[in-house]
Amino acid sequence: MADQADFERDALQYSRQLYSAAMRMARNPADAEDLVQETYLKAYRAYHTFQEGTNLKAWLYRILTNTYINKYRKESRRPNEVDLGDVEDLYLYRRLGSEDTAEVSRTTEDRVLDGLVESDIKAAVEELPENFRLPVLLADLEGFSYKEIAEILDIPIGTVMSRLHRGRKAMQKRLWEFASKRGLLPEDAERP
Amino acid sequence: MSQKCNDAQGRLYQYLDAELDESTFTSVRSHLDDCSGCFDSFDFERRLKIVIRNHLSEDMPESLEEKVKALIREESA
Repeated sequence: MADQADFERDALQYSRQLYSAAMRMARNPADAEDLVQETYLKAYRAYHTFQEGTNLKAWLYRILTNTYINKYRKESRRPNEVDLGDVEDLYLYRRLGSEDTAEVSRTTEDRVLDGLVESDIKAAVEELPENFRLPVLLADLEGFSYKEIAEILDIPIGTVMSRLHRGRKAMQKRLWEFASKRGLLPEDAERP
Repeated sequence: MSQKCNDAQGRLYQYLDAELDESTFTSVRSHLDDCSGCFDSFDFERRLKIVIRNHLSEDMPESLEEKVKALIREESA
């Protein structure tokens, strides 16, 4: 079956990336594996409808995202449309400056950027409510354009931009807490 | 902060995400050449974005790709 060989050649190249995204969505390896398998099975079943020249990677992410939402929204007791509090722009950066000059030294920047560990970053993303987490993942992990994210999530571009903006700021607030806990901040910046 | 700084800061993410049209991109970039404060904050955000990206990927279990292939073959059998 020519379809099958084409599909394996074209679609399986994205499996590692899809798995990373699935891990940040489902938050555990067993569910992430299930999500990836289900995504590929659905994609394969619909592959005959796939038009040459369509963005295959974005299409696979659309299936992954919908599979995740349908599967876990029902099980989740967390409300889907959670709002984030208002966080100011440049939240993390502004807190790295010294009290007197507000200047951020390169040393402090390096200490924070090098000192945050993988589990901090993952937790900061995974703790975001779903409607903010998905745009952040698609942009920051996968590098999709705003237009692609809008198509994957079926939301207007303006909504993509505002959720991305607010999701990233909320992440920065969390990263600041991790940085503080790890003693990476200048002393006078540790006060909230 | 001048109005130019405000304009540039309001476009920070679009700038870093390469989502600005060429003329707006050029005007933000030229502001960053003139303003070390904005340049520094943009540079921090750019570096943070790279750190985040680098820490979010996950090693896929070797067996997963085989499982997917088996599923597809079963489906087309």
